[in-house]
Amino acid sequence: MDGGFLGFLENNAIYIVLLIVLVVWLGIFLFMLNTNKRLKEIEKEMKGK
Amino acid sequence: MARKVLLFVLMAYVIVSGIAYPIVPHPKAWYEFPIIPGLEERAKIIFFHVPTAWLSVIAFLMTMFYGVKYLRKKNMDDDAKSLAALQLGLVFTILATITGSIWAKFNWGTFWNWDPRETSIFILLLIYGSLIALRSAVENDDKRARLSAVYSIIAFLTVPFFIFIMPRIMVGLHPGSANDDNAGPVVDFKMNINMQMVFYLSLISFTLLYYWMWQLRYKAIIIKDKLSKRLI
Repeated sequence: MDGGFLGFLENNAIYIVLLIVLVVWLGIFLFMLNTNKRLKEIEKEMKGK
Repeated sequence: MARKVLLFVLMAYVIVSGIAYPIVPHPKAWYEFPIIPGLEERAKIIFFHVPTAWLSVIAFLMTMFYGVKYLRKKNMDDDAKSLAALQLGLVFTILATITGSIWAKFNWGTFWNWDPRETSIFILLLIYGSLIALRSAVENDDKRARLSAVYSIIAFLTVPFFIFIMPRIMVGLHPGSANDDNAGPVVDFKMNINMQMVFYLSLISFTLLYYWMWQLRYKAIIIKDKLSKRLI
């Protein structure tokens, strides 16, 4: 593989690790935001009853 | 919401800098880290492994704190807070063990060496794993909360010894052991200011993440309890 983005990644595998870790962090963050929203809705519903 | 976005950006910065910033013999640029003798490129684990170990101590301290609070006020919400801290403490202890173990494979040649630091974290896992087992063995809510609170106080007495004392006074492979040739704390003497900044930012962002996780977890436990009582 010569040149280009894939060639760069092939020679610098640490950036693949970086990409994977960033995707995992984004996933955890979105999951927590979603859980936070759901918990607030349930709390609101329970207070209403 | 602004605080959550700040946490996201902080953690993303720690991930990018912790993984991608280069380690060079004589750092000059603001993004370069120095070589730490004996660790070299493997020093990058500091940004992820140390905060997980730090959070396990914070979580076990909170387990005890809310245990004491429960014993004083007999409020079941305090028991839920103590349980949430316990669960997260175990998660972060397991993460510290796994990240440390992977690092050990590349630094020492094997995943597990029964080094004093590894032995102490293994004993802590057993101590706090037993607390989870104890909780699941008692059906009565008040009795479970009372026993768990007392156990968490006794268990936390061992934490300073296993985390801060034993691995430092015994001969071992882990940096900071009694026979460490590169004597002296890694953070104060071996890191340059750039590395220290990323390290402290990492501690802050992991602590904020833990705090958010703990809030979500204890709220979930309280809601679950209330709903199950309504159903009964």
